Amino acid sequence: MIEIIDVYKSFGENRVLRGVNLRVERGQSVVVIGGSGSGKSVLLKHIIGLLMPEAGSVIIDGTDITKLDRKHLYEIRKKFGMLFQGAALFDSMRVWENVSFALLRSGMRPKEAKEIAIENLRRVGLTGIEDMMPADLSGGMRKRVGLARAIAHKPEVLLYDEPTTGIDPILADAINDLIIKMREELNVTSVAITHDMHSAYKIADRIAMLYEGRIVQEGTPEEIQNTENPIVRQFITGSARGPIRINGVTA
Amino acid sequence: MFRLLALLGDIIIRFTEETGRILILLGSVLKEMLSPPFEVGNTVKQMYEIGVKSIPVVLITAIFTGMVLALQTFTGFKRFGAESMVGSVVALSMTREMGPVLTGLIVAGRAGAAMAAELGTMRVTEQIDALETLAANPVKYLIVPRFSSSIVILPSLTVLADIIGILGGYLITVGLFGTSSVVYWRRTWDYLYLEDIYNGLIKACLFGAALALISCYKGFYTKGGAEGVGRATTGAVVVSFMTILISDYFLTAWLFE
Repeated sequence: MIEIIDVYKSFGENRVLRGVNLRVERGQSVVVIGGSGSGKSVLLKHIIGLLMPEAGSVIIDGTDITKLDRKHLYEIRKKFGMLFQGAALFDSMRVWENVSFALLRSGMRPKEAKEIAIENLRRVGLTGIEDMMPADLSGGMRKRVGLARAIAHKPEVLLYDEPTTGIDPILADAINDLIIKMREELNVTSVAITHDMHSAYKIADRIAMLYEGRIVQEGTPEEIQNTENPIVRQFITGSARGPIRINGVTA
Repeated sequence: MFRLLALLGDIIIRFTEETGRILILLGSVLKEMLSPPFEVGNTVKQMYEIGVKSIPVVLITAIFTGMVLALQTFTGFKRFGAESMVGSVVALSMTREMGPVLTGLIVAGRAGAAMAAELGTMRVTEQIDALETLAANPVKYLIVPRFSSSIVILPSLTVLADIIGILGGYLITVGLFGTSSVVYWRRTWDYLYLEDIYNGLIKACLFGAALALISCYKGFYTKGGAEGVGRATTGAVVVSFMTILISDYFLTAWLFE
């Protein structure tokens, strides 16, 4: 279970998170929505300890990870798998070495690790590419490989950073299906951030909207769809007119 | 006037901040370097990248440096009849100064730039974050192998540069000016002490440590996309060059006093 309690984070003058509270129960699928630059990625990176808050706590299964040393933080991180926006594949390694990176690091023999990589690649719908280099893959394939890498060490929680951004609508929907499949097959908790509402409705049990550094509303996809909150309404309908201000842009 | 002071203050603050951050990084690099498991495979790979691939450039630079040293000293020393001393001048210059410094500059320009560019790209494409999420310490996985192989590789390349430089001097003095080969070697060995060589190698070690640390630091903390990677690479080369040349003076004053 993940609990984010009153988290504050700024970068210089820019106060990105201003008291975020969010709770994700085991097995749930939570999607955080919000505009570009609203701090969604920053929030996601706090869950896995890539960023540390200035104030507040991030509690994973009862442990406050903001107070851990590196060694214990790495232990906690083994519970997580993360799919990055650009997939973040290691471009000096072959696809299978990417997928089985964590396994190879923990001392597994290459032959065995490669077999597991092939198995994990098959899970995300890829075959016959294990010996290719990441540079030779298309964007959609890279995301799938990234997902195969994220599930390789059998995590309990999967984090998705804008899983459908930058790929065409059909591929995006295939990724959505994969996210649902991962959840059903591997029984993982998932937290995704996105501004793609179609994707959010499809993969979420609960949706939370981040605006001006706080969660302004949280609810089931139906509740969000029928919300009275003008900020959330404006966002989900994708209108340039409304209470949401964009720096330097006048509607 | 006030503006000028503010600017000066700004520069000093930035310099101190950056130096502090590099030293903190050095601390964690040393800590990770000495604690197992050791990144043997990665270190060997880096030795190949930094060392073996630099050999051709080092050889060409060294032979021409030796040749030009001989050419210059021969014509200069001839004016007061001391041509026979060319061998000593070439040997001392190469081992004490030119060997380590030129090797340092070449490796900083070649491998240091590559380190900054590679780590910088890994940073902006979130590969370093990905390492973290896979519970691999990026300092241990990326920086330690580059740092430790630089420390080993720089002195090795310097030995090579020393030898080839002295041979270059021989080529010119004996081949072009017709001095006796016995005289050249005699003069080379007569005034070359062991400490000239190993003090040069100590310098090389320190240059290796400095250029690897600076280049990795610049790459590791890259911000701002492709432009940031470009800035990091330029920064790595410029700061490494300055550090090598400035520290060279102080190291020389200290080692050879």
